Amino acid sequence: MTAIPVATATLEVRSVTMRFGGVLAVDDVSFSARTGEVLGVMGPNGAGKTTLFNVISGVQRPTSGDVSLRGVRLTGRSVEDVASCGVTRTFQTPVMFWGLTVRESVEVALAAREFGGTYPPAPLRELAPCGLGSPGRRHAQAALRERADVLLAGAGIAAMADRATESLAFGEERLLELARALAVEPTVLLLDEPLSGLNPDEVDAVIASIRAARTDGVAVLLVEHAVGELLSVADRVVVLDHGRMIAEGLPAQVAADPVVIDAYIGDELE
Amino acid sequence: MYGRTGLVLLVVVAAIVWILPSYYTGLLTLIGLYALVTIGLNLFMGYAGQVSLGQAAFFGVGAYTSATFAVKANITPWLGMVLGAIVAALVAYALSFVALRLRENLLALATLALGIVINVVFNQWDFIGGTSGLKDIPGFTIGSFTFDQRAYAILAWALVAVGIWFAGNLVRSSFGRSLIAISAGELGAQALGVHSERLKRQTFVLSAVYAGAAGAIYASQASYIDPTSFSFLLSVNFVLMSVIGGLRSLWGAVIGATVVVALGQILQNVVPVVLPSARGDFQSFFLGVILIAMLILLPRGITSRLSEARRA
Amino acid sequence: MMASLWQYVLSGVVDGAIFALVAAGFVLIYQVTGLINFAQGEFAMIGAMTAAALATAGMPTLAAAGIAVLAAAVVGALCYLLAIRPARKSTGVTLIFITLGLDVALRGLALFVWGTNPLSLNAFSSGNAIALFGGALPPQAMWVLGSDVIVFAALYLFFRHTYAGTAVRAAVANPPIASTFGIPLRTFAFWSFVVAAAIGGLGGVMIAPITSATYDMGLTLGLAGFVAAVLGGLDSLPGALVGGFVLGIVEHVAGGLWSTGWEQGVGFLILVLVLVLRPQGLLGRATRRA
Repeated sequence: MTAIPVATATLEVRSVTMRFGGVLAVDDVSFSARTGEVLGVMGPNGAGKTTLFNVISGVQRPTSGDVSLRGVRLTGRSVEDVASCGVTRTFQTPVMFWGLTVRESVEVALAAREFGGTYPPAPLRELAPCGLGSPGRRHAQAALRERADVLLAGAGIAAMADRATESLAFGEERLLELARALAVEPTVLLLDEPLSGLNPDEVDAVIASIRAARTDGVAVLLVEHAVGELLSVADRVVVLDHGRMIAEGLPAQVAADPVVIDAYIGDELE
Repeated sequence: MYGRTGLVLLVVVAAIVWILPSYYTGLLTLIGLYALVTIGLNLFMGYAGQVSLGQAAFFGVGAYTSATFAVKANITPWLGMVLGAIVAALVAYALSFVALRLRENLLALATLALGIVINVVFNQWDFIGGTSGLKDIPGFTIGSFTFDQRAYAILAWALVAVGIWFAGNLVRSSFGRSLIAISAGELGAQALGVHSERLKRQTFVLSAVYAGAAGAIYASQASYIDPTSFSFLLSVNFVLMSVIGGLRSLWGAVIGATVVVALGQILQNVVPVVLPSARGDFQSFFLGVILIAMLILLPRGITSRLSEARRA
Repeated sequence: MMASLWQYVLSGVVDGAIFALVAAGFVLIYQVTGLINFAQGEFAMIGAMTAAALATAGMPTLAAAGIAVLAAAVVGALCYLLAIRPARKSTGVTLIFITLGLDVALRGLALFVWGTNPLSLNAFSSGNAIALFGGALPPQAMWVLGSDVIVFAALYLFFRHTYAGTAVRAAVANPPIASTFGIPLRTFAFWSFVVAAAIGGLGGVMIAPITSATYDMGLTLGLAGFVAAVLGGLDSLPGALVGGFVLGIVEHVAGGLWSTGWEQGVGFLILVLVLVLRPQGLLGRATRRA
C-alpha cells in the first residue's frame, strides 16, 4: 500500500460507512484522490462502488464518516452544492435531457456555474435577465454557445451538436454525458462505468477524454467493470469487496495481490 | 418571435373589439386572462416538469387582494393589480417550501390541498367577504374614463403580449433550458450544479405572478367575486387548458384557453336544449372526458400536431 | 366542556371509519399500480347516490345498498378499462391528470343522472342512539364500524393468507420478476380498481344516512381519504385505518372547538405537515426501499 501525503490529496474520503437496514453497503472506507490522477475503483457486483459514488456526490448521506474536498467538508451538502464545489459525476445509465439538443445540454452545464453565487438575489440574477432578454444576457448566451461548441469538438462529437438528445444511440449518450460533466470544469470527476455498452471507437474516445482531463489536473474516480481497460488507464486502484476496502495500490500491484485475485479477478476469470 | 406575435395578437384584439358584441368582448377578456394564467402554468408544468392543481388559488389571491384594497381602502386597481401579483407571489413563495420538496403524485396532492385551504380561507375570512364575497369592486380608470368591456379586453391581451414575451425569452435562455433539464433528469442536472429547487421556486412564483395579475383584472372586470369563482374546478380547467394546448408550449396556453372558454360557451348553450334536466356545472362531465381523451389520443397537445404538420 | 369534547371524538370516529374505507381503496390502487387515483372519492359518491336514489324509488334499504356497491364496482371497472388502460404507457403526470379527468367527469355525470338536489337514505337499522360514557353514537355507527372491520379483515386475509394475495405482494415488490413468473400485473391493476371502487362505494353507502347524498360529495370525501391514506404512509392498509380515525377525530374536535368551516382546512394542514415532516406516514418505517 502506498501512503499518500495529505498535502497533495484533493478528495478525502474518511471512514465512510453506509448502512441500509441491516446491510453494510460501505464499511469504514478511507482513501484519497490526488489532482491529475485516475483512481480506479474496482470490485465485484455489490461491492459498494455505486453507493460510494452516491455518498461522495451527495446523493446519499453516509451513516458515518465524511468526505471533503481540499479541506472543505462535502458531507451534508446537497448534490448541486457538491457539484458547485467541483465534484461532478456521470451515471451508470446516462441521464439525458430530453427536449434539448446536444449543444443545449452542454450549455445547461456551463450555465449552472454562471448562475452560481449569492448576490444579487436569484430572481434578479437568473429570472429577470433571462426573461427580459437583456443585451448582457444575450451576449452571455452567445458565449455559452461558443464554449459548448469548443467542448463538443474536444469530445469529438461536434457533428452531433444540433441533434435532439432523444435521437442519440447509447454510446453517444455516454459521450455527451462525459462532455457535459467536463463542462462544469470539475476538480473531481466521478465516472460510473463510462465504458460499458460502447463500441471500440467510443471506448478510445472516452479514454482519450479521461487522459485529457487528468492532464488538466482533474482527479478522476473511475468505476469500471472492464478490468483490463481500468488497469491500463488508472494510475492507482482501490479495491472494494462487500463494502470493505481490501486493497489499494498501483494497478500492477493490485492485479498481482492474491487477496484481490481471490475476491474479484478470480471470479471474473472463471 | 413571441414578443412580435404577441403584439400582433394585441393589435388584432384591439381592432375586433369595436365590431364584437360586448358579450363576446367579455369572453375575449376572459380568454386573455386564462391564457395568462396558463402561460405561467405551462412554465411550471410543461417546462419544469412539475404539477400544480391549485393554480386557481393564485388567481383568487390576486383577485381578492386587488378587490379588497379597492373596496376597503379605495386603492386604484392599477396598483391593486401589482399588489395582487405581489401577494400571489409571496403566497407561492411560502408554499414552495412545502410543495417543491415533493414529486409528481405527492406534489399534485399537496398543490390540490393548498389550493383548497386557500379557498377555505376565502370562505372563512369575514373581512374579505366570507362566503358572500365582495361586491361593487371598482373598475380600472384612466383619468375620467372608466374601463368598458373593450378596454378590459385590450388590457388583458396587452398583459398576454407582455407575459408571452417574457416567458418566450425565458424558455429560450439558459433558465428555460435548465428547467427542461430538470424535468428530464433532475438528479443529472443537479450533479452538474443546477440548483433545481431554486429554479423551480422562481418558476412557481412567476406562475403565481401571472395568475395574480390576471385575477386582479378579473375582479375589476366582473365587479363581483366570491369563493366559488376560484374553486378546484377552475384549477382543473387550467390544467385542461394546459393539456389541450400542449404543456410545453406557450402559444398552446393561448389556444388551450380559447378552446376551453369556447367549449364552455357551446356546452352552456347546447346541452340544456338537448338535455333539459342539465343544471349546475354539468360541463365538468365534458371537461373531464375531453381531458382524458386528449391525454390518451394527443398527450402533447394540439400544438404538437400543428408543429408536426408544419415540419411535414 | 369535556362532555362535548367527548361527543366530538365520537362523531369523529364515525366519520373516520368512512374516511378509512375511502383511504383503503386509495391505498389498494396505489400499492398495485403506483397511481394516486384522484377519482377515488367519486366512487363513494356513486355508492351513496345510487343507494339513495334506489331507496327513494321504493327499494328496501339493504338491497339498495347492495346494488349501490355493485354499481360503484362496475364504474370502477369502466374507469380502468376506458381511461387508465389505454394510457398505461404514459408517464406519471399524465396518469394523474387522467384520474383528475375521471373525477370531474364522474361528478358531471352524477349531475346529469341525479341533478343537484340532495337525496336522503334511511338509517340501516332503527333504534335509539347508543350511549357511550356520556356521549352518543347514532345507530348507523355500528354499521359503519362493522363494515370497517369486515373490509379490513378481508383485505388482511387476502394479502396474508391467499396465493393470489401473495402474488400481488410479490408483483408489487418486483414487477419484472413477477412477470417472468407469469403473474398478470394488468389483471391485478383491473381488480384493484374494481375492489377499490366497491370499498369506496360501501363507504358512500354508509355515510349517506348520516350526511345525505349529493353529486358533489365525492371531492370532499376523496380528499379526506387521501389525507387519511397519506397519514398512514400511502402504501399501508393498517395505516389507512389509523389515518382515517385520526383525521376524523381531529377534524371534528377542531371543527367543534373552533368553527365547522375550518374543518377541511385543518385536515389539509395536517396533510401538508405530514407530507413535509413525515412523508413515510405516521406508522411508516423511517427508511424505505427506493
